[in-house]
Amino acid sequence: MKNGILISGVVCLLLLSCTKAKTDYEAERNAEVPVYYDFKEAALLHTDNYVVHIEALNGKFYKGYNPIRVRITDTSNDQTGQISSIAFFPFKENSDGSRISCPHQYHLQYHSDSNYFSGYVVFVDEDRPNESSQLYVSFTTDNKSHYASGKVKVLEQPNKNLGMTAFVGNDDIKYLIALVSPYKPKVGENDLVAGIYQCKTIDSSSVDSFPFPVQYYYTEVTGYKLLLDPRMPEPSMGNHSSPNNEDLIQLDDGLYHGVVNYTMTGNWTLNFILLNPSGNVVKGMEVSKDFTPGVEGAKSELHIDILF
Amino acid sequence: MKALHIALVILIITTGIKAQEPAQDDTTRVLEEIKIKAAKRNIHADIKQSTSIDEYLAASEQVSFIKRGAYAWEPLLNNMTIERSSITIDGMHIFGACTDKMDPVSTYLESNNLSSIDIRSGQEGNMHGATIGGNIDFKRKVTPFGLLKKWSGIYQTGVEWNNKQVFNLLNLSYSGKRFVTDGSIAYRKAGNYYDGNQEEVQHSQYSKLNASAGLAYKTSELSSIRLDAIFDVAKDVGYPALPMDLWLSRAIITSATYKQLFEKGSIRSWNTKLYFNAVEHYMDDTKRPENLVHMDMPGWSTTYGMVSNLQLEHRKLVSNIQFNGYNNLSIAEMRMYPQDRSKRTMFAYSWPWVTTTYGGVSVNNVWMRSENTMLRFGASLGYHYNYSRYVEFNRIFYPHASQKNKRILTGLHVGYEKKFNAFDFSLGAGYGQRAPSVSEGYGYYIYNSFDRYDYVGNPNLKNEISYEVNAGVGFQKEELHLSIKANYFHIRNYIVGKVLSIGSPMNYQSVGVKAYSSLKYARIFNATAHLRYDIWKHLHWESSMTYARATDNTGTNLPFIRPLHYNTSLMWMRHHFHIKTMLQGDFAHVNYSPEYGERSKPAYMIWNIAADYAFALHDINAVIQLGVENLLNKQYSTYADWGNIPRMGRNLFMSLKLAL
Repeated sequence: MKNGILISGVVCLLLLSCTKAKTDYEAERNAEVPVYYDFKEAALLHTDNYVVHIEALNGKFYKGYNPIRVRITDTSNDQTGQISSIAFFPFKENSDGSRISCPHQYHLQYHSDSNYFSGYVVFVDEDRPNESSQLYVSFTTDNKSHYASGKVKVLEQPNKNLGMTAFVGNDDIKYLIALVSPYKPKVGENDLVAGIYQCKTIDSSSVDSFPFPVQYYYTEVTGYKLLLDPRMPEPSMGNHSSPNNEDLIQLDDGLYHGVVNYTMTGNWTLNFILLNPSGNVVKGMEVSKDFTPGVEGAKSELHIDILF
Repeated sequence: MKALHIALVILIITTGIKAQEPAQDDTTRVLEEIKIKAAKRNIHADIKQSTSIDEYLAASEQVSFIKRGAYAWEPLLNNMTIERSSITIDGMHIFGACTDKMDPVSTYLESNNLSSIDIRSGQEGNMHGATIGGNIDFKRKVTPFGLLKKWSGIYQTGVEWNNKQVFNLLNLSYSGKRFVTDGSIAYRKAGNYYDGNQEEVQHSQYSKLNASAGLAYKTSELSSIRLDAIFDVAKDVGYPALPMDLWLSRAIITSATYKQLFEKGSIRSWNTKLYFNAVEHYMDDTKRPENLVHMDMPGWSTTYGMVSNLQLEHRKLVSNIQFNGYNNLSIAEMRMYPQDRSKRTMFAYSWPWVTTTYGGVSVNNVWMRSENTMLRFGASLGYHYNYSRYVEFNRIFYPHASQKNKRILTGLHVGYEKKFNAFDFSLGAGYGQRAPSVSEGYGYYIYNSFDRYDYVGNPNLKNEISYEVNAGVGFQKEELHLSIKANYFHIRNYIVGKVLSIGSPMNYQSVGVKAYSSLKYARIFNATAHLRYDIWKHLHWESSMTYARATDNTGTNLPFIRPLHYNTSLMWMRHHFHIKTMLQGDFAHVNYSPEYGERSKPAYMIWNIAADYAFALHDINAVIQLGVENLLNKQYSTYADWGNIPRMGRNLFMSLKLAL
């Protein structure tokens, strides 16, 4: 009997360990979403005796929205020169020689505390193996203008939460919406930030100096509104949605801010309707709000997919 | 509702008038106690000699059940679901690990490791912590020290034909002067059962293994220590009323107890127990072809705690002071897969690592004013603390929900009992509070297949506050025993699910989202009448009837309230023979609640019969039993059958009990 108890005691202890491991929720979210918070050097441009350091997150340029920082050093004295302003211009040259720019901040903003300039660039596409994109920078020191340029490689966006979409609106204008944040969405309320740009055709013959002749040029759109309806598109999720979302409106930083709630991790689709300042639909439509288990959720013609 | 009031008023008036007369004896007990011992079996309506825990509990008039199949019935005390009752094992708190209530505490026990079940209604059940409906305390079997017979054992085996159930239960114990040990092992396996139309009820099978061991050592003449463990594992359990089954559930329930008795002074005994229990529960929905999506919903519940009880006696006053402290962590996950299991669709916590910590003191007193009058009074004060680790899930619907939540829970009760001549009367009142359960407070997208809504908890829910009155009258004269009892609860902030229009459903069969919300109040009335008449020395008649009515503040019926129910049985005993036949049934479910997904159910009646014969084989006392449940093979489903699943049809059973 004593042995029996002893054995059952040992068996009980062995059984104390759980059969199925609990999900390591935090680790799993990190594995799903690669996040880069650090700016690293992504490109070096040389001009005269200046070196232009262009920094991007993780030291790489990805398709979509890329915040950048630019520092310029004077190699003659290894000092950061007194530079009052920097102009920044990215573009891509097609095989037929035509040039296309992409949304970007032309006049970079100076941060005196850390002595760098900041801006952003939204790359419309990743570069194929034999392609590259170009960055041009111009700045003035002691009343002397300098120009620098260099080639960079745009990689596929590894973060499935920083997607973008390019489309032609009902007004026949080409638009581009790129997600800026959240980098790493969480279950619950997330501030959703997007840049909305429209493409303008430029008569290339009218411009011959910097900014270099490009046929297409993007500008931030102002006064638009982006209506949001987030849903889980997988058939098993039955078009599930979340409460308390807020449409995106433009704030002082030029970007569009709203709120998205994610009720759980997984695949989400942000269904959008873009309204112009007069309230007309530029692109997108209402999607079904019905719960339709087993049927893949219909997406708006204007949408961006998310996975976290 | 008016009728409810009138019934109550009449009851109180009649008790009031009769209470003026002198009383004679003091055997009345308002509290029910079901003895599981075979010797006491015949005082109850249950018919089988070897039954499951659920069948034992069903013998109490105060307990009804929600049934999701053949296994793991959810016990309702005073027609209130398990959140409103405290359910304990020797005072130890243990919580199921399934968000869909597929594992009430009773599933982790087996009838052969228990000695009795103590059911206390309302605030009289506050001994083990805050409650509203009452307390169900499962008492472990404990072998006393120094029995004449050092070794003893009981073996029970049986078969039930309807669902091809086979069970084997074995108990062994050793009782020495200083050392006692006991152990039990039980195994049950059942296939699908067949309803009254001979149709197989798919996914109603189960298998369960339960083992327990106890070890006690007498440290001095008046003190002892005891170690206990129960291990339970259920595998491949079907829930015909749910869209999924159980793959595996396991529980380990352990405790260490120190007991000190005192010969002199007011302190009679001091009993302290430290305990730990862990429950894991894994569902399986892959055996249901209708599920195009698969969801893993594992759940874990771990509790440790302490119970310390001091019993005092001073002249005619007996006091019980108990400290209860426990900490529970409940975790439940949801992970969905499309049919291709290598891809996953979503992940969320249905219980986002919710910790519940409770510490409280309960005091209960019995004052024997005279031989015929007795006063009971008691109070409880508790501190209840919740912490939700991944509160972001709760903040989806309640953006300002706090991660931590503190509550103070109080309870009070008083009861008066008086006897004269052949009559006895009791009258009582109580006030109590309870905190929302883990699901009610922090649950997230818990699918309820009864009303087909996804439920979300609300961390900001107010405490439920209960005001109760109870009364009873009994008559006892040699061959006739008659008793009528009633209680009435007015519960403020009564928690129910209300449709949440901003919620979007998620579970496959769901039609919408409901959030746990507080009604202004709800009212529940329960009445039972019990009669026992010894027609002849060898022939006894026993009958009982229960009535309940419950409505919310708008007069809408509450769900799962038992319709008028009756149970009547005849027992004939002669020498070693014992025959019992029983009719039981419900009247039509008139006061059903379509708002909560209920449908009207017609009346039903079933007839059971059993006979047993006792004989001796050398030193072994044997009892063999043969019986039939639902003899007429009635096709029926009751108000409490989740998903309107039909109940078992005719079931022939046989069992053999050998006691050494």
